[in-house]
Amino acid sequence: MKSAILIGLCTLAFLTPARADEPKQFADANAAYAAGNFEKARDGYEALVKAGQWNAALFYDLGNAWFRRGDMGQAILNYERALALDPQQAEARKNLHLTQERARTLQLSDDWTARVREYAEPETVAWMAAAAFWIGLFLIVLAFFARPRTGRAVLAAIALLLCGGGAFFLYTVETGNRGQDFAIIIGQNVPARVATADSASNILTLPAGSEVRLLSTRGDWSYAELPNDLRGWIPTNTVERVRL
Amino acid sequence: MPFPRRNRSLPLWIALAGAILVLLGASRSLRADDAKATAVLTDSETVIGQPVQMQIKVTGARGARPPGAIVVDGLDIRYSGQSQMIEGHNFSFSYSFVYTYTIMPERPGTFQIPPQRVAAGGKTLMTEALTLRVVDDGAGQADEDADEQTQSVPRGRLGFVDVVFGKTTAYVGEMIPVEVRIGFRSGLRVESLGESFTVAGQGFTTLNFTRPRETRQNIGGQSYQVLIFKTAIAAVRSGKFELPPVEITPGVLIPRLDRSRMPRDPFNDPFFQNFFNDPAFMPSERRELKLKSKGATIDVKPLPPNAPADFGGAVGFFQMETEAKPKSGEIGDPFTITTSITGRGNFDRVNAPVLADDQGWHKYPPTSKFDQDDDVGISGVKKFEMVLTPNESKKEIPALTFSFFDAAKERYVTLRSEAIPIQIAGGSAPSATPASAAASNAPAPGATPKAQAKPDDILYQIADWPGIGVAFVPIYARPIFWALQLFPLLALLALVGWKWRQARLGDRTARQRAKLQREAAELEKRLRKGSAPQQYYADATRAVQLKTALAENVNPNVVDADLAALAFHLDETMRRRLDTLFQKKDELHYSGGRNGHGEVSFEQQQEVTELIDQLRV
Repeated sequence: MKSAILIGLCTLAFLTPARADEPKQFADANAAYAAGNFEKARDGYEALVKAGQWNAALFYDLGNAWFRRGDMGQAILNYERALALDPQQAEARKNLHLTQERARTLQLSDDWTARVREYAEPETVAWMAAAAFWIGLFLIVLAFFARPRTGRAVLAAIALLLCGGGAFFLYTVETGNRGQDFAIIIGQNVPARVATADSASNILTLPAGSEVRLLSTRGDWSYAELPNDLRGWIPTNTVERVRL
Repeated sequence: MPFPRRNRSLPLWIALAGAILVLLGASRSLRADDAKATAVLTDSETVIGQPVQMQIKVTGARGARPPGAIVVDGLDIRYSGQSQMIEGHNFSFSYSFVYTYTIMPERPGTFQIPPQRVAAGGKTLMTEALTLRVVDDGAGQADEDADEQTQSVPRGRLGFVDVVFGKTTAYVGEMIPVEVRIGFRSGLRVESLGESFTVAGQGFTTLNFTRPRETRQNIGGQSYQVLIFKTAIAAVRSGKFELPPVEITPGVLIPRLDRSRMPRDPFNDPFFQNFFNDPAFMPSERRELKLKSKGATIDVKPLPPNAPADFGGAVGFFQMETEAKPKSGEIGDPFTITTSITGRGNFDRVNAPVLADDQGWHKYPPTSKFDQDDDVGISGVKKFEMVLTPNESKKEIPALTFSFFDAAKERYVTLRSEAIPIQIAGGSAPSATPASAAASNAPAPGATPKAQAKPDDILYQIADWPGIGVAFVPIYARPIFWALQLFPLLALLALVGWKWRQARLGDRTARQRAKLQREAAELEKRLRKGSAPQQYYADATRAVQLKTALAENVNPNVVDADLAALAFHLDETMRRRLDTLFQKKDELHYSGGRNGHGEVSFEQQQEVTELIDQLRV
């Protein structure tokens, strides 16, 4: 019995990827940053990102490294990624605002979900909606086996309505300006055009770090929702989605 | 009174005889006449593009074969058709065949149409030679009736194309209005204008042509239908440019003017004259015209040096108006500046005005909208909307400047708006520091946050490695979220199972109670009827047990007199009567079936019934 457990633990240890190096890599990159070697620091952080070791702190530090390198588009992109992973990270929010001001970026307009997000992040809403769903179902079961049923049925309806409202909020957030297609311009003064050609008329010039929402892609061009409620085509290689 | 029969038949006889004589005469005349061929022109003089007809008339033969292709350099001669005539004179009749050809002159000159060979009646006949004079169309001569813009239009042409440039000397970028006039002689039907055309070549930008305006003009006594296209061109570099002529090949329908068809108006009616002279009802011929304008020379001068810093290439004459909204706000609030630039010039090079002093302001790229007030798009209003946000307290929105080159005055002009007073609440914002300059201010890893960060610089690095990575997918798209939903699902299933079991148990108890109630009711009926003592007391005891069981929710078989008395809170008298009842039942049950009286007396029945009735909770 003991030998079987031992074999199982060994197998688990073999299958689990080694993670001992990552704190060291992170510390090395931080040391490079502190020494003013921002390029080396950026490369160190990028290596961790490529390894899939994503967390808000890593993207925040990477954003700082890009900022020091003077690339505001990449800096804003990584601050946004840090906030996507941890919306409560105050440092990333502060640095994002500062960088946006420096880069004079254009931003997408906020919808009604922005006001809700001031009180509850989508993750919290998801848990609340799930809880409301189950409470509603429990109340329905109890109402079914009890008399009178009216009180419990009303409570169940309220709970399910709350659940539906939460689901609608999550759907709107996911498909909205800051959802899965939220992207940041990483090129410098990228022209958004009316058609997929360099000679097409310019709708809006987007400074690096500006926010867009990608709608579709055709060849080397992406059709995007732009600030000022405009839409246009931008070169795909000048924009990157916030979500990896 | 009827006419005599002989008088009625006489004219018929005379008519028959006349007809025979006519036929005999005709046959004799056909044999007698010699076949001959003649050729005539409907006009011996015409102009280029105006067709005339040639008729070859063969007389004295029953049939003829007309000449095939007639080739004359400078004339386009095509066979149009044939007609047949019978002519009679003193009972002498002759047949004539007329073969018609349409001749379209292609160039001016005097042309000889050679004698044509016609085969008729087994002989070969020759027509005489004809001379057609095609009048020179007067190219290069000024037309006294034409207006100034169509002086180059030659007289007598079927159509013309003329390009009129607004000016022949201009500056780089200056818009030159261009008018292309394409005319067709009245009566021609234009099917198409052929391929598209351009008025300027390399070195020029050209605006889109407007939709053509149609008008009618009298040039050299000839009415023309004229299509006028407008555009504007602008040179992109200086120099002397030879602009090529505009060439078009429109397809037109030219009516055939067959004057021999209607030699006389049979009705002498103006209506029929107009009807038959309407080109729409005339037979026509499709033809592709080759129209070509004259070339032009444009002298383009370079813009003078020392242009203002904000000059973006606008050439023309412009005026500027500016307004701002709102007039008050806080630091960071957006102020929208709307600038209207009105005038005439190359609006595609009219850029947004710039702030004379943008210190302390965030500027966002402006949007623009152009509303033209002419056909071409070189006159109108271009509106710019620019959003500014103050970084610090400001008292006014600074002046905006816009520079252009005034081609008429041949100098640069800078328009400057007035500063717009505003009110901004809040203190002053810190000035920006370049990103690179802040590099040395970065704290060491793990340093205490905020204390070392400058207000206008980014914050410190996070030194602690947070460990396990996370995904960007939202929580509800992760497996863990749905795995956790299994717990409330299992709890819900457990609740459903428990409730369902409870419901089933409740149903069984209810059924048992109903059964006991039915048995008790049956026993009470039997007790009222009376029976043998053994049975009667057994039933009475069972009735007590059932009532007690229903009241106490216990098994009726375990109920005895004490339990029943306790359940119904009976007094001592009633308790003794219950004991007596249970003892009597036992006595009768265990002492043999026939012990005791034969029947239970009425008083005993009443006493038992009364006792059972009093068993109430």
